[in-house]
Amino acid sequence: MDNLARQKIIQDLLPQKFGTRGIIWVVILLVFCIAGIVAYIHQLSKGLVITAMGDYVSWGIYISNFVFFVAISLVGSLITAILRLADVSWSTPLTRIAEIIAVSAITLAAIIIVVDMGRPERFYNLFIHGRLQSPIIWDVVVIITYFFVSLLLLYLPLLPDFTILLKPESRRAGSRPHFFYRFFGSFWKNTPEQIKISNRAIAILSVTIIPVAFAIHTVTSWLFATTYRPGWDSTNFGAYFISGAFLVGAGAVLVAMYAFRDAYKLENYITEDHFDKMGKVVIGLALLYLYFNINEYLVPAYKMEKAEEDHLMGLFIGRFARVFWFAIFSAMIVPIAILIFKKGRKPLPAFIAGCLVVVGSWFKRYIIVTPTMLHPFLPMYQSPEKFYHYFPSLEEWLIAGGSLAGMLLIITIFARILPIIPIQETINESEEHEKA
Amino acid sequence: MNTDEGSRREFLAAALAAGATLAGCSSHGHTHEEGESDMIKPSGEMVKLLSVDGEVIEVDKAFLKPVPDLPQVNNSEERMGISGKKFVMVIDLSRCKNAKKCQESCNHAHELQPGQNWVKIYPMQDGEDTAPYWEPTTCMHCDDPPCVKVCPVDATFKRQDGIVLIDSDRCIGCRFCMAACPYSTRVFNWEEPILPKEVKEKPYSCETSIPQKKGTVSKCDFCADMTRKGELPHCVSACPNGVFFFGDMIEDSVTNGAETFRFSDMIRDKAGYRLMEELGTKPSVYYLPPVNRNFPFQKDESNPSNDHSTKS
Amino acid sequence: MKKPSHITWLTIMMSGMFTLGLLAQEAKSDLNLGLGYVNDNDRLQYLKASAKTKINGKFQPVAGINLSFYLGTESPSNLLGKARTNSRGEAVAFIPAAAGEEWKKSEKHEFLAVSEPSDSFGTTKSSIEITRAKIKLDTAEGRKLVAALLELREGKWIPVKGVDLTFSVKRMGRNLGVGDSPTYTTDSTGTANADFKLAELPGDSSGNITLVARVEDNDTYGTVSSEKKVPWGSDTQYYDSDFDKRSLYARRGLTPLWLGFMAYSIGLAVWGVLIYLFFQIRKIKKLGTV
Repeated sequence: MDNLARQKIIQDLLPQKFGTRGIIWVVILLVFCIAGIVAYIHQLSKGLVITAMGDYVSWGIYISNFVFFVAISLVGSLITAILRLADVSWSTPLTRIAEIIAVSAITLAAIIIVVDMGRPERFYNLFIHGRLQSPIIWDVVVIITYFFVSLLLLYLPLLPDFTILLKPESRRAGSRPHFFYRFFGSFWKNTPEQIKISNRAIAILSVTIIPVAFAIHTVTSWLFATTYRPGWDSTNFGAYFISGAFLVGAGAVLVAMYAFRDAYKLENYITEDHFDKMGKVVIGLALLYLYFNINEYLVPAYKMEKAEEDHLMGLFIGRFARVFWFAIFSAMIVPIAILIFKKGRKPLPAFIAGCLVVVGSWFKRYIIVTPTMLHPFLPMYQSPEKFYHYFPSLEEWLIAGGSLAGMLLIITIFARILPIIPIQETINESEEHEKA
Repeated sequence: MNTDEGSRREFLAAALAAGATLAGCSSHGHTHEEGESDMIKPSGEMVKLLSVDGEVIEVDKAFLKPVPDLPQVNNSEERMGISGKKFVMVIDLSRCKNAKKCQESCNHAHELQPGQNWVKIYPMQDGEDTAPYWEPTTCMHCDDPPCVKVCPVDATFKRQDGIVLIDSDRCIGCRFCMAACPYSTRVFNWEEPILPKEVKEKPYSCETSIPQKKGTVSKCDFCADMTRKGELPHCVSACPNGVFFFGDMIEDSVTNGAETFRFSDMIRDKAGYRLMEELGTKPSVYYLPPVNRNFPFQKDESNPSNDHSTKS
Repeated sequence: MKKPSHITWLTIMMSGMFTLGLLAQEAKSDLNLGLGYVNDNDRLQYLKASAKTKINGKFQPVAGINLSFYLGTESPSNLLGKARTNSRGEAVAFIPAAAGEEWKKSEKHEFLAVSEPSDSFGTTKSSIEITRAKIKLDTAEGRKLVAALLELREGKWIPVKGVDLTFSVKRMGRNLGVGDSPTYTTDSTGTANADFKLAELPGDSSGNITLVARVEDNDTYGTVSSEKKVPWGSDTQYYDSDFDKRSLYARRGLTPLWLGFMAYSIGLAVWGVLIYLFFQIRKIKKLGTV
């Protein structure tokens, strides 16, 4: 590959300064984050009473947000690991986006779960008094493990890129944290031995992350499946949650692909072909998730056990019907309808489909958590009026919104300092392409 | 039953309890007998008293209180509980008329916030054509407790006497136990509990569950402080209709303060059962079916919005 | 103006005092003081007082009332003891050895409880007259209980006819009746008989149970009881709770072995890989900084 071509790739893929749009984007995110923090400080002083939660709905959108974050974080294992192991070359430009989303999401998952705690200052009790019999402890261990695995899987392929970033021709005065690159990557000399170790490490990581990713979302699903409640008492939950996680992760990648492509003018690297292929992946995952949903809802509906009856009718035609059907259509049916056509897999329609998947999935997590809690075995009786319904309070929305904004902010910061598409791998791919 | 009789019965019950506790004392030192609180440790200080014959007898001062001052138990003793006992409750549904005295006395004794009830009384009707009845529920103190299984920090625990307690100094407020409990028995302190100053300043004890703390869970504790002294829980003593029976399954005896029955006889003769037996939680609270009810079932019309028993 | 006459002044003064008296009375409510005598197992004797007051038509216990108990008239030499009512409105005073002289003088005694005046209540007194009595409890062939209430008459203990007593076994909270009838009345010979109907009743580890014969709140004798330990129970194996066994609901450190094995092996495997990879990165670093 001649130097000019290589230089072009490098210049195209270097992290860029924020334009006007970028700055507005960051400011909006910061506003939401600060609003969330202010609301959280209020929650710390007053207690969880500022939310709409009560003794019946004792888990609200903080928990559904938590599940949502854990779900999205599985995208790392899907794109980076599974597709990489399957030697799917078109996934290369998407691997870093996926890993960045994964790391950001899992960080926020840990943060939002502390936000939900009634006594966050006793967090350390989890470590000094932890009971291995509790699914929460399993969740804590797996989340910490997954965080480190994802971080490593982000870091290792970055090493060659750090070297590129440190090259004099890549420098643009004061626009990138060179001390950061130097600390983390200056020792990469691109020697064959280093490459060999690195490739092997990445391969091992790719294999390791898959069971860890499966574990993280299975264990999270067990927070619900280990209880007796209608809607949660299902043997299906592990697989159901994982398929949902892959779907929302893939949808998030579609959104991110389009956003970065547009913001950084990466049309040569994230091509229409990528949207086409990713769109097909999303169809497959949406159909899989739809299959699990049919199992999850139709089978109990056939039996209509006493405890399940009120819950299911509430979802199908009762007070949760609007949100339920919105979630089903938005997360699965409409995206399938869009992406099934070649025209639907063009960048913009695919982006819209991705947005629908993400939004629908967020509401789907709400449907999983809240309605069950409003159908306890014993009647709801003689309680404060507030406890009989659940619609998140303003502070709850601000905190949940702040956490989502936080995730987007971390992604944005990563995109600002790291090349969003792996530079060295892109160069390698082009060289292989030329040889072929 | 008018309250004069009720309070007289309460007095008698208390007197009997006191007598029972004291009666085990002898001047020959402490001998272990069943039915006696073996928690009292002799202080060594002897007091000279008069016997009915007119003789002087010496008794250890520690045994002289009708309800003895027990030494303060520390956290690990509270977590262990009383050995050799297994507490059990029997609720006679044929006697309940939703008087809510159990709720009042429990809420008062444990300084609960308005809106919090550890004892909940539900209007139940199992099927469309079956009879309606009032069902008081407490914590079931299950022998296979789902709440204890899921607690990540050992803040709720099962003792050797069967009581499931909560340590509000340990609880992190994750509310997994509330999601896991199928009996809807747990309540959460969503805000700072409003307590009188002297209650707030008491050192916290898992057995009294006082003072309650913001951001932690609470529930019926079978009045662990009372049962340690051999006394009956507050709901049992307060019920004017004798609905609640409490006792030790090992001793095979339960009482509501005025009547005592053999637990095994009661369950066998009146077909006692447990709630949601099929879930496998193995509750310690048994119910006697509402046969030959003492009172007709009358819906509580005072607050219709209270009733969300018909679900959507 | 006519000078007010004596009668007018008197009327004004009387009405003034009457009003004051009314006001003073409104400030203090009526305290209902109950007094009982208890003879525990022929050994311990004590007086039990209960203080109640009517609030909104219902009797509520009164705590914090200081009581003085006397044997006979209210004089310092007759003071048996002082006690304060607890949260249930109850107070107990034991009869001290010092009262022995006075006690042995007669068969009948009067007890007096006097409450100290407080902000809400005036001085209240309550007295009872008790004849000294004790119960003799025996067992007979075929698991029968025989009890007699003996009262002291002319220096001799004589059984009393027609007294209601209960036979029970000591249990937690409230004792368990031994037979079918709630009470048994002493017959013409002054004894009451009951059959022990409780088969296979759990006793202590040696199978012992404690029988109790009791006269409850009798007008003449107060509450008198007597106990007897008999081996009529079934021996309870020491109840082995699950407290120290491994289970899903046990405390930390008592995880079921299968769970511990699974969790630790998966954890060690994954973290083993991670630690290995950390070292690989260090190796890369070393290779690069030569």
